[in-house]
Amino acid sequence: ENCGHISISAHVMRLGDPVTASCTVTQSCSHLDPEPQILWKLGAELLQHRGRQQSHPDGSQKSTITLPHLNSTHTFLLCYLNWSNSLQLLDQAELWAGYPPAMPSNLSCLMNLTSNSLICQWEPGPDTHLPTNFTLKSFKSRGDCQTQEDPIKDCVPAAGQSSCSIPRKHLLLYQNMVIWVQAENALGTSLSPQLCLDPMDVVKLEPPTLMALDPNPEMALPQPDCLWLRWEPWKPSIYMDQKCELRYRPQLREASWAQVAPLPSSTTRYELCGLRPATTYALQMRCIRWPLPGHWSTWSPSLELQTT
Amino acid sequence: PLPLPRSFVLKCLEQARRVQAEAVEMQQKLCATYRLCHPEELTLLGHSLSIPWVPLKGCSSQDLQPTRCLRQLQAGLVLYRGLLRALVGISPELSPTVDTLQLDVADFATTIWQQMEDLGTAPAVQPTPGTMLTFTSAFQRQAVGAMVASQLQCFLELAYRALRYLRGP
Repeated sequence: ENCGHISISAHVMRLGDPVTASCTVTQSCSHLDPEPQILWKLGAELLQHRGRQQSHPDGSQKSTITLPHLNSTHTFLLCYLNWSNSLQLLDQAELWAGYPPAMPSNLSCLMNLTSNSLICQWEPGPDTHLPTNFTLKSFKSRGDCQTQEDPIKDCVPAAGQSSCSIPRKHLLLYQNMVIWVQAENALGTSLSPQLCLDPMDVVKLEPPTLMALDPNPEMALPQPDCLWLRWEPWKPSIYMDQKCELRYRPQLREASWAQVAPLPSSTTRYELCGLRPATTYALQMRCIRWPLPGHWSTWSPSLELQTT
Repeated sequence: PLPLPRSFVLKCLEQARRVQAEAVEMQQKLCATYRLCHPEELTLLGHSLSIPWVPLKGCSSQDLQPTRCLRQLQAGLVLYRGLLRALVGISPELSPTVDTLQLDVADFATTIWQQMEDLGTAPAVQPTPGTMLTFTSAFQRQAVGAMVASQLQCFLELAYRALRYLRGP
């Protein structure tokens, strides 16, 4: 039988909260020393004169200690017996201290058409100093997300990650779903605000591919102030109606971008005129799902063309 | 006329194009992998396996009846989902395409069903995919795959024309 054991109010508590523990030296061990002195250590620090020791009718001895503020996020509380001038370790208790999880914030999601999955990310909030589990929770809904339809399997991020990817087979495209993040540790649980979205409305497009287009062969002489280009939408999004923006600037110092009015994705070629002759221009394009909702792609890499 | 929200019709058009592209991809893979490049040669086999063919009479351009068209379109999509389900595991090369196609066809059917519910025009009972097809050979499964991919494209082309008409200018 153990010589002594520690009983403690809790092994996990809020940082700065008090903790009360008792160490009981059993009668079988007490016979070694009629008045055994029980001592405590917190980590490596000997806690002088801090325990209140009492004898019990059954011959056991019990020391009780209260630490007003536990300021260490992870430590050990140790109970010793002073035996023949040597400290004998009887038991130890592992202690964690931290905070309940704050509300996860800035939840946002993007539909990735390449992996066909919905990728959500969030801000986890301040460090809790405790093992904290984040779970991306969601359910299918419709309309303005006031009704709950089929639940969707919880998405558990990789350790330490603040993002999670819901695979296609769990998604119902073109219908609204409700998504939120749950953070949980030993001291509590908190939920992020909920998002109501259709995965297809948060598609993130990749930029189109810009290419030079030979001037119209019927034209006797290509106009010196024009450039001809064509583009192809990003292949995985080819079935989506989109609108695109073209911007251009001469390769001159301090030149700024000029932008062409949005171009529907059904037209995939363009004649850009009103330019400076014999000048190299950088052209870029970006697209967005339209008229249905979506996110702008980034600008395409520059295509460099020269006017004649 | 049926008060169809514009966003609903736009979504349907996009879903039709999406599924169409996947059906074309499936057909191309069946042609490349199994040399099944002429679905018209499989009509007799289709009859013998009683592959259901889905008429879209309510969606014809001569006599478009929106409520009937949506019901037939939704029922047809549910049927195709059942046919595609029978093709699951057809082959490692095709499985990803068939799986995605099956999911997208199902989502397209849900989009229409929920809109019909919102409009109060949904039939009392949800259509079901019907009995699961069974095959006696890998060839039969591959051949049915070729037929389904081909028929689904024709089905979607008809549906697309009707949806574009419903979208208006």
